Amino acid sequence: MNTLGLDTATSSTAVALARADGWLREARDDVAPGDRPAHTQRLLALVVELLEAAGIGWAQIGQVAVGVGPGGYTGLRIGLASAHGIALAHGAQLVGVGTLRALAEPVAGRSVAGVLDARRGEAFIAVYREGEELLSPRVCRPPEIAGLALAGGPHTLAIGDGALRFRELIELGGIAVAPAGSHLHAVSAGAICRLAAGGHAVAAVPDYQRLADAELALDARAR
Amino acid sequence: MILAFETSCDDTCAALVGDDGTVLANVISSQEVHNRFGGVVPEIAARHHLELIDAVVAEAFARAGVGIEQVSLVAATRGPGLTGALLVGFCAGKSFAAARELPFAAIDHLEGHIAAAYLAPARFEPPFLALIASGGHTLLLDVSARGGPVEVLARTLDDAAGEAFDKGARMLGLGYPGGPELSRLAADGDPRSYDFPTGRSEDFSFAGLKTALLYKTREVDASDRQVRANLAAAYQRAIVEALLRRVLRGLERSGRTRLALGGGVAANAALRARLGELEVELFLPPPELCTDNAAMIAAAALAGGALSYPDYLGLDVYATGEGPLR
Ligand SMILES: [Zn+2]
Repeated sequence: MNTLGLDTATSSTAVALARADGWLREARDDVAPGDRPAHTQRLLALVVELLEAAGIGWAQIGQVAVGVGPGGYTGLRIGLASAHGIALAHGAQLVGVGTLRALAEPVAGRSVAGVLDARRGEAFIAVYREGEELLSPRVCRPPEIAGLALAGGPHTLAIGDGALRFRELIELGGIAVAPAGSHLHAVSAGAICRLAAGGHAVAAVPDYQRLADAELALDARAR
Repeated sequence: MILAFETSCDDTCAALVGDDGTVLANVISSQEVHNRFGGVVPEIAARHHLELIDAVVAEAFARAGVGIEQVSLVAATRGPGLTGALLVGFCAGKSFAAARELPFAAIDHLEGHIAAAYLAPARFEPPFLALIASGGHTLLLDVSARGGPVEVLARTLDDAAGEAFDKGARMLGLGYPGGPELSRLAADGDPRSYDFPTGRSEDFSFAGLKTALLYKTREVDASDRQVRANLAAAYQRAIVEALLRRVLRGLERSGRTRLALGGGVAANAALRARLGELEVELFLPPPELCTDNAAMIAAAALAGGALSYPDYLGLDVYATGEGPLR
């Protein structure tokens, strides 16, 4: 089965196509820090590019695997809505993959803390070791990151745009952060494809980790 | 056959419309969850659209009794509206179109309201004036031809007409959405008991009216139901007259003799009654084509503007206050 992988939970647009015969290619669009993500404009063009490279058509996509976050709310919805549209078109199977799990997937041989910038001065974090989840995805305040990362032990490596953003605090807490230029800080859609094939598929519903602000305000008033 | 998506505000909508403008299915899932917030919450609307979109589309195919392979054109609302909400229907529609290599029409929501007139069996053809009044927009438009140029004759300077209804309802202690409740209360009141302002400018303006009602509720005994009914009736009359006055001026200046209505406020009985007195050919769409729906988006796509695959892959949505008819 050919699998199309997508992730738009971060400011990048990441796409990968894994052919049934093992051929896999990735395409991505990274925007400069602070720039508006181009998920809506770039996603489909990247998919077409990969289909052409793979020599297959839309109808031969048997499975769509989409990053369900946590991440930017708007990005998540663009990815999921697009995945729904593509899957519906030819009856492809639609599955989700945790974005933090995908972020951690390329690191082998040590514990890794996936840390994404959750905006509003918060971070999303989860810890994995060789595919095993040591700390499930959650939202936290930056001073808590290092402590939570210790779920993977003192030699845990922190990666992701949140690890870069809150590097000083994390390092102060004794946890190493991968070098600034490392490809490990970006979510790979290839990892999304591999995880979907490797038994790590979840329901294709967004993992927001937080209620909408209005909901929180209403709850606070009710209390 | 056209498959259309509309998710610009708080209704999750999908429709299937035949190439001749026959509505095969027009599914509207209203998100009543917003009522407890007293207004539409953009983030919550966007979340619900994503939860509902699959079921709404499946329901459209089931009701129409057709298959995906019969779709020859896909349309989706591009804006204006809540960006996060728009993106759900727009991305789903655009991606579906791409994956089937079909043409795709990115439709302006207001052009959609106009195009509701083109659906069978009514098929009200331009030229006509269109009054689009809802909780989100208040526009008087001169429509010269299907898919042709549209001139904005009047727009609102502040609140939309539906918003004025909702805010007035709140001042009178009614729930949200307040329009229908205010109209119910107004039915027991005397519309001439108070004289509320209808705005002096060529454009619509409801801010002065709102303030007038606020002051009046402080002057009178608003705990008395009859007093509140009179206030509601007079307030509703002011909104209706404000709309009517600009319509009359527009008809006079444009020389048009036909008028189409659109938007949720078009369901208001007092407005319908007053417009019925005019000597014009009046088009009042059924209520489900007045409020936001995807059949009207399909109708607009029929009028033209679709792009072939893959020319539309990079298209994005636009927010409230943007677009050709803002
Ligand atoms: Zn509308």
